[in-house]
Amino acid sequence: MKYLIFDSGPIISLTMSGLLPVLEKLKENFKGEFIMTPQVKQEVVDKPLKIKKYELEAIQVNTLLEKGIFKSSSNFFSNQKLELETNKILKMANGALRGVKDKAKINLLQGGEASCIAFARLCKCNNVIVIDERTTRLLSESPRSLHKLMERKLHTHLMLEESLIREFKDLKFIRSPELLFIAYKKNLIPMKKDKQLLDALLYGVKFKGAAISSGEIEEMKSLI
Amino acid sequence: MKEVENILGILRETEKLINQGNFHEITILSDKTIHSATISQDPDNIIVAVLVYSIGKILERRNYKNMDGWDKFSSSASKNLNLTIKSLEKNDIENARTYLGRIRNSINTIDGALNIYIQDIFRKASINKAFKLYEHGLSSEQTANLLGISLWDLASYIGQSNIGDSNSTISMPVKKRIKIAEEIFE
Repeated sequence: MKYLIFDSGPIISLTMSGLLPVLEKLKENFKGEFIMTPQVKQEVVDKPLKIKKYELEAIQVNTLLEKGIFKSSSNFFSNQKLELETNKILKMANGALRGVKDKAKINLLQGGEASCIAFARLCKCNNVIVIDERTTRLLSESPRSLHKLMERKLHTHLMLEESLIREFKDLKFIRSPELLFIAYKKNLIPMKKDKQLLDALLYGVKFKGAAISSGEIEEMKSLI
Repeated sequence: MKEVENILGILRETEKLINQGNFHEITILSDKTIHSATISQDPDNIIVAVLVYSIGKILERRNYKNMDGWDKFSSSASKNLNLTIKSLEKNDIENARTYLGRIRNSINTIDGALNIYIQDIFRKASINKAFKLYEHGLSSEQTANLLGISLWDLASYIGQSNIGDSNSTISMPVKKRIKIAEEIFE
């Protein structure tokens, strides 16, 4: 069984771009499950349901849960088990960068992102995490870049404890733009298929928060 | 409250800039708490950053001064700003927090359009500061949580910025990431 584990960012960017139906089509073409953890549900359904501005979006996402497009992680592991693993992840991730002077730990991640990593580690299966924001990806794929970025922004020296995040190295991540790239290639977008459509899809999610550069978008377009 | 001296310095400077009528500088000054707020994630630091930025933005909008309730709001905010400074000078953190809260609550003393406009400035100031923390390397969820804002608001703000175009956000070649996507969809 394969699993795509969704963080809140891609769900938000796809919803705000009116592309949730594409997610349904992708699920039909996927030999596995789309996973949503309770922490992510909190951010994309429970909280926005109480904010008038985002109530409609929350209902749309919740409908995908009700239709079974997203499966709750509790179908596979108890919430308690996931929370225990999430807390372990938070301890590791949030201890990785410290101030040199005062040794103060910098809390980089929160429960939502950490719960996706926790599920990926618990399931010991073929899985990919779908995450749009950069910090979690950098922490796993290029922790030294994150270290450098933060030192530059904060004008201070930081220590990177790489041993704490060594286990994150094997995690695999994609973003909402890669999901849309696949949907485009598989003809799952019910619109005239041309390069302008791909351009519009990729920039659409970029402007809704997906961390992707214009250069990356141009490169993706050249691969078609 | 961490870094009391830093916060005190910023509030004194804010008061000075208000008296000089140099309102735009106040919004820039608010960023001085962001470096320390990223590391310490001290709520007081974050509250001060949002408050100072909001004060600068409110004062920049000169037409507010002709609106009903302005005098009441303005005198309450400046009185409590001064009391916050005096409390911090005596290292009376509890009182300082109370007066900081009263600056924000000054909007509750006014009704009508001005109340709505100022509420909106405070909300946007929170999103602005959350974005600054994200820019400094914290995850989007962590920053949204620290500022008490919605990830939905933050996502649009991040999207409108040029942060995604920074090379520091690229941690894997495009082709490699697409391969991961293609393999999982095989």
